[in-house]
Amino acid sequence: MIERSVEISFEFDGKNYPAFDGETIAAALLRSNVLNIRNAPSGSPRGIFCVMGACQECVVEIDGIKVEACRTSVADGLIIKRAHDV
Amino acid sequence: MNVIFDIAVIGGGNMGCGAAIRLAEGGMRTIILEQGDIGQGASGVNAGTLSLQIKRVKLMPYAIKGHEEWQNMGAEVGFHKTGGYTLAFNDREAELLYERMTLKKEAGANISFVSDKELIEKEPALARKVVAASYCGDDGYANSLLSGQYYRKKIKQSGISFLEKFKVIQIRENSDGFEISSGGQTVVAKRLLLACGGWMKDIAAMIGADLPINARINTVSVTERAPRLLNSIIGHATGLLTMKQKENGTVLIGGGWQGKGTPEQGRGNVSLETLIPNLQLAKFALPKLSKIRIVRSWTGFEANVPDFYPLAGRLANKENVFVLGCVRGGYTIGPYISKLMGDYILGRQPEMPLFDPSRDFK
Amino acid sequence: MYDVIVLGAGPAGANAALEAADNGLKTLLLDEQKVAGGQVWRAKSKSILKAPSTEASEKGDELRTKINQSAIEVKFNSRVWHIEKQDDDTWLMASDAEQLTAKALIIATGSQERIIPTQGWTLPGVIGLGGATVLFKEHMMVPGRRTVVAGNGPLVFLVASEIIRLKGTVAAVVSLNNRIDWLKALPSMLSNPSLAWQGFKWIFKLYKMRVPVFWQHGINKIEGKEKVEGVTVIKVDHNWHKSDQAEQYIPAESVCYGHGLMPAIEATRLAGADHHYDELLGGWVPTIDKYGRTSVSNLYACGDNAGILGVSVAPMRGRMAALAVLEDLTGKKHNKKDLKIFDKAKKIGLAATALSIPRSGLQSFITKDTEVCRCECISRREIEHEIKTGALSPNAVKSGTRCGMGPCGGRYCSESLALITQHISKKTRSEIGLSTARSPLRPVALDDISNEIDYDKLPIPGVSPL
Repeated sequence: MIERSVEISFEFDGKNYPAFDGETIAAALLRSNVLNIRNAPSGSPRGIFCVMGACQECVVEIDGIKVEACRTSVADGLIIKRAHDV
Repeated sequence: MNVIFDIAVIGGGNMGCGAAIRLAEGGMRTIILEQGDIGQGASGVNAGTLSLQIKRVKLMPYAIKGHEEWQNMGAEVGFHKTGGYTLAFNDREAELLYERMTLKKEAGANISFVSDKELIEKEPALARKVVAASYCGDDGYANSLLSGQYYRKKIKQSGISFLEKFKVIQIRENSDGFEISSGGQTVVAKRLLLACGGWMKDIAAMIGADLPINARINTVSVTERAPRLLNSIIGHATGLLTMKQKENGTVLIGGGWQGKGTPEQGRGNVSLETLIPNLQLAKFALPKLSKIRIVRSWTGFEANVPDFYPLAGRLANKENVFVLGCVRGGYTIGPYISKLMGDYILGRQPEMPLFDPSRDFK
Repeated sequence: MYDVIVLGAGPAGANAALEAADNGLKTLLLDEQKVAGGQVWRAKSKSILKAPSTEASEKGDELRTKINQSAIEVKFNSRVWHIEKQDDDTWLMASDAEQLTAKALIIATGSQERIIPTQGWTLPGVIGLGGATVLFKEHMMVPGRRTVVAGNGPLVFLVASEIIRLKGTVAAVVSLNNRIDWLKALPSMLSNPSLAWQGFKWIFKLYKMRVPVFWQHGINKIEGKEKVEGVTVIKVDHNWHKSDQAEQYIPAESVCYGHGLMPAIEATRLAGADHHYDELLGGWVPTIDKYGRTSVSNLYACGDNAGILGVSVAPMRGRMAALAVLEDLTGKKHNKKDLKIFDKAKKIGLAATALSIPRSGLQSFITKDTEVCRCECISRREIEHEIKTGALSPNAVKSGTRCGMGPCGGRYCSESLALITQHISKKTRSEIGLSTARSPLRPVALDDISNEIDYDKLPIPGVSPL
């Protein structure tokens, strides 16, 4: 049996999602089946890819700074924006 | 190889390629020998700034002509005439700015001093700490990354031979002219044009010439794509900051901060000691950069001589050896001065005077 | 000033640090993850309070306990973005705004996944095989409801069997390797029965669960508009070139795929070490002696970044590198007995790598319109045009097309670029070379690099000549 921590809630791109306290943004979004995390400069949709902080595909914006969703923990009430380029 | 070229150009950067094209047009059978890839040395890694405001007074006529050349090359080299502001953040810099820009204006650059209001209107993201600013509408930038692509195409069109990954290790003079060897291959040419930037001193030494060349190692950084922060190119009264935001949203940060390494050791390395103040200065001038990520910092060599003027002419006591390079602001002037150099080698009268490499540098 | 800084706290790096600290060296261990363990012994997320243990979690816990009990100083969540040799031959590194110095530097950055594009590989729902293992180990979750697992090397079967263990559904396994490739690897794996047994256990499990296994097949296209909806698979020839046989469609919600591991060499390259291409070791590797000494003084490499040999030899490689540091810094000779065990264990690692070596036909999966550079969205067509007009080095192609100039720093396109260049120019990988290594090792925000400055204290050197 897997026992997980308490459920918290965070906001991504204007919508609320549940998460287990202490997990990464990427894991929480994947659990909610949110696969499309950003759009590349060509417009093509992108999601979690390398899951180890190298490929930069899963970047999201927190307080205006781009961070990798796969290595950033969620927190209760955290507001995460979709990363926009130009 | 039994072909004897009229001239071998050592160095396939903007200077060498530009001169080679002129020489080929003038009927010379020309070959370019490049140790790496065409246009990938200083020509391909500099910040691409085309600013009359950072040009030296005496070189202004050449820089103005240089700007025309870049404008003509246009989209293929990523040319953008954006206009440019030079900023002063304290009284000392304001004084420096006023003194320098006045002289540059007198030398023919279209420079004016601008009010705080105008600056804020045009560049609202800049820090509200500017004490004085000048503007030049002719300023802009080109994309140095495209140098290789551009010149590779042009030299092919001109029927110029070129060898990449040809690292010259020996030059021997014989009755035909010069035998230039990379170890594996040998090329024979009647004349030589040395246009190899930071590597010039060593190459010149191979034919017994001692040129007083030093290499500066300039640092450039680029950010990830960012929302529009700048419309024009930005400079600093001391010359220690250049910034521009390219069309794709990335911001290029330069200013001639010195990295580490020598041309003999490779491409040089970024030094933390200078990279950090360089970025701090950029952040100071453009606070919104704080939250933007740097994706790459690199270095490129800029050769110079003690008086910081170009070397462009015939070597003393060497009838058939010419030198071109070592210009402060060589990226801007390159496409023009290389034409002058081509003309000179072809025996024509250059439109403007060249810079004798055997002059007294003191 | 530390005696030694170890970059990377996986099995190799952590053991290097343990050995160094046990021998009295002032040691700092750095990792970008939250805790030690690397990818292979990656720790569970804090959100998992209780879960059945696995071999990886036990080994990882054991390692983390040892580190806690040692004299090692640790710094996690630390991203070294710059490495520089100082004039006095010591090392200077930057981790965010912090600067760290050491007499010796051991680089143990592990591996990175090789993923060669196919149509649709940028769709959300497609993740690397290595990435999938992170989901299993750290989050105990599966990548999606119906997953196609594809590619080559042992990871394909590991990932498929883990999905099943975690109660997910494997729609199909698509292996470029055929059964004969596996049988060929068997003899050298037999010298380590547990590893061989594991591999076959994975395959057996899949058959038992009636998971369709497509041997000697590749994914021709990943279908979907906004996310993965399915894949088409196609038979490949011996070189893994796409055949002209009919494709088969498999509906799926996620795809895990990859083409083996490559040494993660950005750090050793930035530090200036010589590298060479060795297919058997996973590609470009730093040129090292048996102990991990690189061509640069006081710079060492151990673990998969010094050649993919896997976890069985990683701890030993770490310890050997630490002993080399000890000898070079203090003159203390060490027991060389380890070397024999190492040579034996190395064979096993090489056998696993043999299944992972990409073959030339893989380039046939990269269609003209496929975005090779994910960051800058550069297609194969653009790259080919650049190469055909004379850009024969990675630096030249990069410069002309922007392929590899985005935030990932070319990590996920340089391999494809080399394959395409090789296909067109017929040059060897050594001749093609690599593009220049530069800082930062990972994108870093300006605010994270430096604090606010006092303008008047900026070290402004003399102004440029007028």
